[in-house]
Amino acid sequence: MSASTVPVSSKAGDAAPVTDANHTPPTHNNEKSEELAELAKQNVAPFLTKYHPRQYAPLRSEDGTPVPRPINAGYCYRHQPDSKCNRRQADEQSMRSLQQELNSLPQDDQQGIAHVWSLFSAAPAKQRKLMLQGILAQCCFPQLSFISASVRELIRIDFLSALPPELSFKILRYLDTASLCRAAQVSHRWRMLADDDVVWHRMCEQHIRRKCNKCGWGLPLLDRKRLRESKREIELRATNWGNQSSADPTKGAPNETCSVVENPSTGSKRKVDTTTDDQDYGCEMIKRHCVSPAYRPEPDDEYYKTRYRPWKDVYRDRFVVGMNWKHRRCSVKVFRGHTDSVMCLQFEDNILMTGSYDATVKIWDMETHEELRTLRGHTAGVRCLQFDDTKLITGGLDCSIRVWNWRTGECISKYNGHSEAVIALHFDSTLLASASVDRTVKIWNFKDKSTFVLPHPEGVNGVKIDTASRTVLTACDDGAARLWDLDTKTCIRVFNNHIGAVQQVLPLPREIEIENHLEACENDHIGEGPVDILSPLLQHRTLASPPSMFGSSFDEDKDRLEPPRYIITSGVDATIRLWETSTGKCLRTFFGHLEGIWALSADTLRIASGGLDRMVKIWDPRIPTCQETYEGHSAAVNCIGLSDSRFITGGDDYHVRMYDFRAS
Amino acid sequence: MSTITLTSSDGVDIAVERAVAERSVLIKNMLEDLGDSGEAIPIPNVNEAVLKKVIEWCDHHKNDPPSASDDDDNRRKTTDIDEWDQKFMQVDQEMLFEVILAANYLDIKALLDVGCKTVANMIKGKSPEEIRKTFNIQNDFTPEEEDQIRRENEWAEE
Repeated sequence: MSASTVPVSSKAGDAAPVTDANHTPPTHNNEKSEELAELAKQNVAPFLTKYHPRQYAPLRSEDGTPVPRPINAGYCYRHQPDSKCNRRQADEQSMRSLQQELNSLPQDDQQGIAHVWSLFSAAPAKQRKLMLQGILAQCCFPQLSFISASVRELIRIDFLSALPPELSFKILRYLDTASLCRAAQVSHRWRMLADDDVVWHRMCEQHIRRKCNKCGWGLPLLDRKRLRESKREIELRATNWGNQSSADPTKGAPNETCSVVENPSTGSKRKVDTTTDDQDYGCEMIKRHCVSPAYRPEPDDEYYKTRYRPWKDVYRDRFVVGMNWKHRRCSVKVFRGHTDSVMCLQFEDNILMTGSYDATVKIWDMETHEELRTLRGHTAGVRCLQFDDTKLITGGLDCSIRVWNWRTGECISKYNGHSEAVIALHFDSTLLASASVDRTVKIWNFKDKSTFVLPHPEGVNGVKIDTASRTVLTACDDGAARLWDLDTKTCIRVFNNHIGAVQQVLPLPREIEIENHLEACENDHIGEGPVDILSPLLQHRTLASPPSMFGSSFDEDKDRLEPPRYIITSGVDATIRLWETSTGKCLRTFFGHLEGIWALSADTLRIASGGLDRMVKIWDPRIPTCQETYEGHSAAVNCIGLSDSRFITGGDDYHVRMYDFRAS
Repeated sequence: MSTITLTSSDGVDIAVERAVAERSVLIKNMLEDLGDSGEAIPIPNVNEAVLKKVIEWCDHHKNDPPSASDDDDNRRKTTDIDEWDQKFMQVDQEMLFEVILAANYLDIKALLDVGCKTVANMIKGKSPEEIRKTFNIQNDFTPEEEDQIRRENEWAEE
C-alpha cells in the first residue's frame, strides 16, 4: 500500500519520538533544568506553533469543528500526504532501540534532544535543509561516515509501487521469465503488476514461434494473429491500468475452446503443419473438428473468464513445452501395425497417417493411439502421402497416384501419369506436384485439369510447391536441388553441392530469422557483408523494387511473392544444407548423421532429420551443431513429421514412434 | 550556439545549450510553439539537483542519432546499458527515481529507457526476499499465500 493514506501528523509523530513527561519517570528536578526547559519552551514553542498548528495550537472555528489543516511543508512535493509517498516509516525495532537509548540519558538531555527532533519534524523543507546543512557542517568524519552508511540503507524506494503503472510496466517488460515470476512473489502490488497481461502479452510476442534475441530461445508457435490483434488493446491497457473493471473484455488471451476455431495453432489440441506453415489451410481443417461455442451477446464475467486466459498462462504452457524440448523430457509412443517399412507420414490435430511398403495407409488417433482405419488399394508400397480436411492423396511404387476420402476410406480416383514409382508428392490449393523415378516432376492443376512436366536428368526424390511465389522445389538423384518457375516452366536456380542424390528439399518458413551467420559459414563468400536481415522478404514487390533476382516474371505481377528465402536439403552424403535461394549459395552444412538422410522436417524453431543411421537429430537452423540426438528405431528412419510439441518418425523396423513434449 | 534558461521547481535558473535542452521533446515543442523569447522556461516538476543531472545526460547524448521507434522492434530490446550511462546511473535510489520521473515528464525517451533498464537490472536474478530488501518492501502475503504463489510460479525456475 502506498503510504499516502497515512496522515502526515501521525507520521511526523512516529518519526520523532517526543518524550512525554507523563511517561518518563521523574528524575531529580533541580532549578537549572527547569530553567533550561523554560528557555527551550520559549524558543521552540513559537516555531512549533507556526509549523505544526494543529498539534501545538489546535485551531478551531467558532462552532468547534477543526479547520482544514494546512499542508505540512516538511515533506518534499512528492511526499505530500495527498501524493504518493513511499518512504516507509521507521520500523518498530529501530524506534524501540532509539527510545531505550534516549531513556538512558538524563532528563535534561532527553528534553534537549526531543526539542531538536520536534523542531526538525515541524520544519518545512527549506528549513529542514538548512538545519541539515548546519549539522553536516559540524560533523567530523566518523559522524559523516555514520550518516553515509545509514543513508545508504534508508534510501530504498519501492519503484513499482511509487511510479505510475505505465512506467512500472516498462520496467517489468525488461525482465526475463524467471525474474518476472519472482517479482510476482514480492508483494500484493508487485504481483498485480508482474502478472498482468500487459507484461505477458509482450513476453508472448517476443518468444512465441521465434527465437528471442534477448534470451536466445523461442517458444513453440502459438496464435500470432491473435497476438497482433490484441496488441493495441494491450497498449491501451498499459496506459489506463487501474481505471478498468476486472471484466474488461480485452483482458486475457483467447482460450483454447474458442480460439481453435479461428486459428489452429493454439492450445494442446492444436495441430501444426510446420513444414508448409499454411495457417488458413489448417483453419479449415480445425473448423470441422470443433464446434464453435455459442456466442452470447450479453457478456458476463463468467463468459469472459472462460473465453479469455491470462497471457501468463498461455506463456507458461508454451514455456513448459519449450523446456521439455530443451531437457529432452518427452513421452514416447510406438504405433505398431504395419507389416513392412513405414515410408511416409503426416499428422494434423490428433490424426496421424502413415504409408508403408506393405501397400497400405493407416490412420491413427494420436491421443488414444488407436488405429482408426487401414486404406488398401495400392498394389505396391506407398511412398508418399498428404492429407487435408477432406482428401488424402497417395503415391506409390505401383506408379499410381490415388485420391481418397479418408473419412470414409473410399478411393475416389486413381491417376497413372508416371511410368515409374511415385516417390514424393505435394499439393497446395489447386496444384499437385508429383515426383517420380521416371525423371520427371508432374504438375497437376485440379481446376482446369491441365498437367505439365518438369524434366530432370535423373530420378526425383522430393518436391515442394510454394503457391505464393508460384514456384516448386525439387530434389534429384543427380545431386542437385532445383527451383522452378511454374509460370515459365523453367528452372531458375540449381543448388548443387551435395555429393550424391538429394533426398529431401524443404523451404524454411518465410518468417524465420537467420541473422548474420556468415561468420560461421564454411563457404567462400565470407566478406560479402552480413545478410540484410531487414530485407522485405514477406512484402509484395512494388514498382519501386529492384528487379527480382529470380527473373522478370517476378516483376510483372506484384501479387507474386519472391520464393522462400531459405531452403534446406538433405542427401545420401549424410549432410543437411541450408541455402539462400536468391544467390543459390549454400550458407551452412549441418554435419552429424553418419549415413544418408531420408527424412527432413523444419519449422521456425528447429530442423528434424532422420536416416539410415537410425538416428533422429534435432537442429537449430541458426547454429551449425546438432542440438539433440534421439535413438529408438532399430532400422533406418524413413520419414519424420514435426510440430511445435511433437515429432513422429516411421522406420524400416515397421514402427512409428511419437515423441511428445507436451506437459504431461 | 544559442542558449536557453530553464527554471527548476525550486526556483533556480540553469542556462543550457538549446540543442542539449531539445533532447527533451517537451522543451523542444515548447520552444517551437512559443519561439525563443529569451525568457526562462519553468520546469515545475523537477528540482535543481535532478534537472542538472538530466542536463548532464542530455549534454553527453546531444549528438546521438534520433532513436528509432523501438516499439516496432521490441525484439531487439535488451537490458544492456552503455558504459557511460551505467556510471551515470550509479546514484541513490531517490535520484534514480527522480530521474525516471523527470525523463518521463520531459519526454526524453532514451533516458527513460536507461532509467527503467537500471531498475530492471536491480530486480533481475534476485529472489523475492532479495528484491524486498533491495527496495525496502514489506511482505504483505500470509505464509499460506506466499506458499501458494511460490508454487504458481515454480514453472519458471528451471
